[in-house]
Amino acid sequence: MRKATRYLRRGAALAVLLAGAGLASATATAEPSTFDVTVLAAACANCHGTDGRSPGSIPSIAGRPESILNDQLKAFKSDTPPAGTTVMGRLAKGLSEPQLAALARHFSQISRSPSPEVKQP
Amino acid sequence: MSPSVKFSRRQWLAGVGKATAAGALLMMAPAYAKGAAGKVVVIGGGFGGATAAKYIKRRNPAIDVTLIEPARTYYTCPFTNLYFGGLRTFEQQGHGFDELRTLGVNVVHAFASGVDAAGRTVTLAGGETLAYDKLLLSPGIDFRWNALEGYDEAASERAPHAWKAGEQTRLLKKQLEAMSDGGVFLMAAPANPFRCPPGPYERISMVAHYLKHHKPKSKILVLDSKDAFSKQGLFQAGWNRYYGDLIEWVPLAKDGKVVRVDAATLSVETEFGQTHKADVLNVIPPQKAGAIAEVAGVTNESGWVPVKHQTFESELVPDIYVVGDATVAAPMPKSGFSANAQAKVAAAAIVNALAGKPPAEAAFANTCYSLIAPDYGISVAHTYLLKDGKLAEASGGVSPADANDTFRKLEAEYGESWYKAIAQDTWGTRA
Repeated sequence: MRKATRYLRRGAALAVLLAGAGLASATATAEPSTFDVTVLAAACANCHGTDGRSPGSIPSIAGRPESILNDQLKAFKSDTPPAGTTVMGRLAKGLSEPQLAALARHFSQISRSPSPEVKQP
Repeated sequence: MSPSVKFSRRQWLAGVGKATAAGALLMMAPAYAKGAAGKVVVIGGGFGGATAAKYIKRRNPAIDVTLIEPARTYYTCPFTNLYFGGLRTFEQQGHGFDELRTLGVNVVHAFASGVDAAGRTVTLAGGETLAYDKLLLSPGIDFRWNALEGYDEAASERAPHAWKAGEQTRLLKKQLEAMSDGGVFLMAAPANPFRCPPGPYERISMVAHYLKHHKPKSKILVLDSKDAFSKQGLFQAGWNRYYGDLIEWVPLAKDGKVVRVDAATLSVETEFGQTHKADVLNVIPPQKAGAIAEVAGVTNESGWVPVKHQTFESELVPDIYVVGDATVAAPMPKSGFSANAQAKVAAAAIVNALAGKPPAEAAFANTCYSLIAPDYGISVAHTYLLKDGKLAEASGGVSPADANDTFRKLEAEYGESWYKAIAQDTWGTRA
């Protein structure tokens, strides 16, 4: 329970931070916007499969521990990505650490296999 | 714009700015005559349209979503090059719409012939009319017949473009297989912008793979209307390694621009008057947004569709969203991956708009894998975010020039895995 509250607090703080960044960069041509991790995460599904469940040799990311996903994403973003990295270094570099952390949390919370009760947008 | 709102969005926002945030959201929630959650019509069942229909339903199953697509099975352009290389069957390119139906999408196999933007209705070729609150177009491309002299639809029956997957793809494959050893496969490659920037060069690689193993005395001549192309250094290094002088690429600066096609004799003429004769002639002609975009009034003088990059709503017509190859979305390339990524941003924006909420921050990715030989893949990958309301590269680039064979093999495998993933993500089918 305490753990859940902590996540919620961190999540809320992150949302405020990201929404703030979004509003700061908005101009007259852009409508005001809010941060929604499911929109950011949707771009991952093109290669990792819907909800991060890969049907091929690209690794599945659904249901993996948040800390492992976050460390991996940060390693991809760093100037020295792990040996054997192909596209992820190029893709992760453009996202901020809070964005990567939000993705890590999002995919960690999705079950590894589809279940009819839990629907992720 | 909904009938109850008679003034512009800017005036509206200025007005609600004084209210509390919660109040503003309640006030902005429009009323829909047809049902509580709203009605969305999607035209086009490719990477953009099928993805949009699926993700709208996933985000809010209460929204009434109709997808209009003439074909019962949609054949993708990506990976048709592997079919030319003999590494895949044509049938593997096909995807049905069963998963979308399972999600509750009303899939209608018909041709959409008209859009009444003021009345917010779509007309089908059979005469039926469908009302919408939000319309999403994923029209793909159409060809500018005769923009290249002598190249019209009839000419494409002898000199296929094979740049929309279907009978044209099968025709070009049949011609390639019928060509005698020692023949010339000639490709006329287009100027920018066009569908799938690395596509012509992957096609050249896969045709070369086929010829090397089956008709090694043959030759490939690429006459190009530009001086540079996507992943050029990587392609040319791979061509040198695997195919040597089987491939000759002629850029614009060396009289590569084809200005006239004679389909009857399978010959082409270049800007400075050289004539080249082919045994198989593949002409990739100049392109524009798919016809329904023009019908809907969302194209500009370029023939493509300007959109607001945050939502992919048309800049010209409210309540019409357009995704994929038809749009002006540079620096994103015209690719199936881009269409899928844009469709998810548009789907989220539509769901939010129907609930009276502002759009979410937009984020996009694109990765294009190209296969040069069966175990030799290369890629270009970018993340795109908005900068001052416009799409901009946040990071990305091409595979390293000095990568080892293990890396190239991994990218070949990841390319195959990517196709499975995006097919599943778009249509719910397995490749």
